Amino acid sequence: MISVKHLSKVFKNGDKELTVLRDVNCEIGKGEVIGIIGPSGTGKSTFLRCLNRLEEPSGGRIEIDGIDILDRKADVNLLRRKMGMVFQNFNLFHHLTILDNITLCPRTLLGKSREEAEARAMELLQLVGLYDKAGSLPGELSGGQKQRAAIARCLAMDPEIILFDEPTSALDPTMVSEVLVVIRRLASQGMTMAIVSHEMQFVRSVSTRIFFMNEGVIYEEGTPEQIFEHPLRPATISFINRIRTLEFHLADKHFDLYGMFGEVGVFCNKYGLGNDMLTKVQHVMEEMLFEILPFGGPVTLTLDYSEKDFTLRLEFVQENCTQPVLEQLPDEFIPLRLVQGMCSSLRETEAGKILVEM
Amino acid sequence: MRGLRTILLLSLLLSACSGRQAVPDALPSCLEELEGHTVAVAGGSSTDLLLSQYEGIDLMRISIGDMPVAVKSGRAEFAMMQEIQYDANQLDAQGFRKCFNGILKGLSALAFRQDDVRICEDFNSFLREMRASGEYDRWYGNWIHQLDSMVVETEKMPAPRDGKKITVGITLVFPYIFIRNDSLSGMEIDLFNRFCRSKGYSPEYTIVQFPALIPSLNANKIDVILSHIMVTPERARQVLFSDEYLEGSQCCFGLNPEWESAARPGFWTRTRESFRQNLLEEDRWKLLAGGLAVTLELSLLSLLLAILLGALLCYLRMRPSAAVSGTTRVFVDMVRGIPVLVILMIMFYVIFASVQLSGVTVAVFSFGLFYGACFSEVFRTGMLSVDRGQWEAGAAMGLNRMQVFRLIAFPQALKRIVPVFKGDVVSLIKNTSIVGYVAVLDLTCAGDIIRTRTLDAFFPLILVSIIYILLSRLSGHLLDALDRKLNPSK
Repeated sequence: MISVKHLSKVFKNGDKELTVLRDVNCEIGKGEVIGIIGPSGTGKSTFLRCLNRLEEPSGGRIEIDGIDILDRKADVNLLRRKMGMVFQNFNLFHHLTILDNITLCPRTLLGKSREEAEARAMELLQLVGLYDKAGSLPGELSGGQKQRAAIARCLAMDPEIILFDEPTSALDPTMVSEVLVVIRRLASQGMTMAIVSHEMQFVRSVSTRIFFMNEGVIYEEGTPEQIFEHPLRPATISFINRIRTLEFHLADKHFDLYGMFGEVGVFCNKYGLGNDMLTKVQHVMEEMLFEILPFGGPVTLTLDYSEKDFTLRLEFVQENCTQPVLEQLPDEFIPLRLVQGMCSSLRETEAGKILVEM
Repeated sequence: MRGLRTILLLSLLLSACSGRQAVPDALPSCLEELEGHTVAVAGGSSTDLLLSQYEGIDLMRISIGDMPVAVKSGRAEFAMMQEIQYDANQLDAQGFRKCFNGILKGLSALAFRQDDVRICEDFNSFLREMRASGEYDRWYGNWIHQLDSMVVETEKMPAPRDGKKITVGITLVFPYIFIRNDSLSGMEIDLFNRFCRSKGYSPEYTIVQFPALIPSLNANKIDVILSHIMVTPERARQVLFSDEYLEGSQCCFGLNPEWESAARPGFWTRTRESFRQNLLEEDRWKLLAGGLAVTLELSLLSLLLAILLGALLCYLRMRPSAAVSGTTRVFVDMVRGIPVLVILMIMFYVIFASVQLSGVTVAVFSFGLFYGACFSEVFRTGMLSVDRGQWEAGAAMGLNRMQVFRLIAFPQALKRIVPVFKGDVVSLIKNTSIVGYVAVLDLTCAGDIIRTRTLDAFFPLILVSIIYILLSRLSGHLLDALDRKLNPSK
C-alpha cells in the first residue's frame, strides 16, 4: 500500500544543515500495524510527518497505491483525507465542541449532511468511550480524553491508514492505558496503522512489524519477536536492553583517578546502583588499571548498564596491544584473583580487550 | 451606568471652574501698554504679525470666536478683533470694554489663485456695478448700521445648475459669516451670493481653519477665500487680491471693570437657558445632528477601510518572503510613528493636493491608513496566538490553507483580537474629531461653530463630550457583545 524509497529529509536553518532522515526504505501493507521505535532524535516523527507531507521530503520517493505523492501534480489534500494523524499534543480545535471537532471535516470535505456526520460522530464517541462528552469543549477534558477524541476525529474521515505520532508522550502515566486500549481495539479490527511510541510493551504487543530507527535510517526491522528477543545489530541490542553507557579515554598512567571515581559515583547513583556495587566497581577499576593492564598505550574504559536485566559491564580496551594480556600474568596473580572474586565473569575477548561482568 | 456618573462629575468640575477672574486696575490705551500681558489674537492673522514684534506681549493664538470666552475665563487678559465683529457681537452688553481701537486699518478683499485672473475680473466688475448703483451702500448699511444683524435677510445661494462651480473657503465669524437655521448667512455670504447670481457662478462653501486658508487655496482645495482677509504685501505675493470690499480696523478689548453682572441665576435656570440658546435657537441642534452624522459616517467608513487594510498588511507581514514581510514591517512602523493628525494634513495638502477629493474621503483614507497599520499588528498578534499544531491538525485532515484559516485559525484568532480591538475602535471614533483641520464639519466642529456663535464655552463642549462618551460606550458594548458571543465561558 505504501512504498518508501531512499527518503531523505534535511532541515536548513540559515547556513546550518541538519540531516534527520538519510535513506529510509520500507513497504507497509494493508492491515499491518507498524511500530516505529528508536532513540530520540533519530527521525521517527519526521518519517511519519513526511508520509502525509506535513514535512516536505528532501529526496526519495513515496508511493501510495502506486501513486507518487511527491509529484507536483499530486493532490496532497486528497491524499491526507485517506491518512489520519494523531498528534502528541492532540491538537483538537480549541474553539469547537468535541462533536464539532469530529464533524467539521466530514461535512467540509466529504459533503456529509450535519445529521449524517453527527450520527457517525456519536458512534465513534461511543467507540472511544466519550459518548457523554459530545458537547464539551476540548479545554474541559483530561489529556487521555482529548487523545481519544482526537482518535475519533481521525476515524470520522474513514482513513485507510492512521499515523500515531507519540500518542501517549504528553500524557500523565495514569491516562496512558485508556488511550492504548482504544488503539489496541483499532488494531484488532484490522486498521492499518503506523505508531511511533516509547511504550515498548505496548508496541511489542500491538504491532505486526517493528521498525527500529537509528540515525536517519531504518536500522533493523522485523517481527516484534525478532526485534525484542533476538535483535541482531549493536544499536538495536543496546536500545532494547536499555543500556546506559559511561566512557573514559585515558592517555597514560597519570590520569585523574579520583575525578573518574566521582563520575562513576554519579552514574551509579543515577541508575539506582547501591554503594556496595559502587565500591566493587571502583576496586575493579583500580586493580585493572594499575596492576593488570600494562598501559602500553591509551586505554578506553566503558561502563554499560542495562536497565532491562540490571547487569553492569566494564570493558577495558588497551590500544596497540598485540598479545593477550591475561595469559602473560603469573599464576595466582593476587590482583587478578581479587577482581575475579568481585565479578561474575572476566574474559579477554581479543588481545588487549577485557570484559568484566559484575 | 458608569458613563452617566462620569458625565455628572465632569459637569460639576467645569461649572466650578467657570468663575470670573480679577479685573485689571487700569485698561491699556495703546499697543505698548499691552507688554507684560497675555493677549489673544487670531493665529496667522495680521494682528498676530503685528503683536509678534512686541517681545513683552504674551501671545495666545486662538480662533476669534473663542476670544470672549478666553478673556472672561482669564486665560487671556485682552484680545484683539475686528471692530465690526466686536460691535456686531454686542460685546459691550456682555461685560467687555474696548480699550483702544483703530489698529491696523486696512482693507479686506477676496483672494484668488494668481492665475485665476478671469474670476477676479468678474468680481471686480460686479463690485464696480454695485457701487455705481448704490446697492453697495444699502448692503453695507443693512449689515453694519442695523446693529441687529440677525434680522437681515441673506441672499439665497444660487442653485448648482445656475452656473460654473466655484469652491469657496470660509471661516465662521459673526457677522461676516455664520450659520442661521442650518444655513449659511452673514454679510460676506450675502455679497458673494449676489456676485454669483449676477456673474453666473454656483458657489460651494467649505469651512477652513483661518491659518489653513492660503495653503488650501494654493493646493487647489478651494478656488477663492471669502474671509474678510486683509490685503498685505506678504499675502499679495502668494495670492491674487480682488478690489477691496470692506474697510476695517482692529480693536483691543478686555473686561469692563465697572461691569456689574446681574445676579447669577440658579444652575437649572442657566442650564435651561444654555439649552435654549445653544440648541433650539436658529435650529442649532441641526448643526450637531449633521456633525454627528458626519462623525458616524467617518468612523464607520474608516473602520471598514482600516479592517480591510489591516488584514492585507497582516497577510503581507506574515509572508515567508523576507523582502515582503520586511517592507511591510517598515511601512507599518512608519505609519504608526506619525501622529494621525499629521497623516491627515499630509494626505490633504501633499498627497491629494492636486486631486479633487472631498475632505471626508481624504479623512477616511487617512484614518483607514493609520488604523489599518495599528490593526495589522493586532491581527498579527491574534494569528500568532494560534499554535502551529492547529494548522497542522487541519492540514492533516485534508483541509486546504484557506479552509484551515477560515474554519480553524481565524475563529480562534478572533477571540484574542476582539478585546484588544475595542480600545482601538474607541480611539478611532474619538480621533475623528481632528477632521476640522481639513474642512470637514464633524461633531466637534459643529460644537465649535455653536460656541463661536453663542460665546458659551461650557454647554457645547460638555454636550459634545457627552455624545462622544455615549458613542464610545455604544461601540464598546457592541464589541463586548461580540466578545461574549465568541467566548461564552467569560
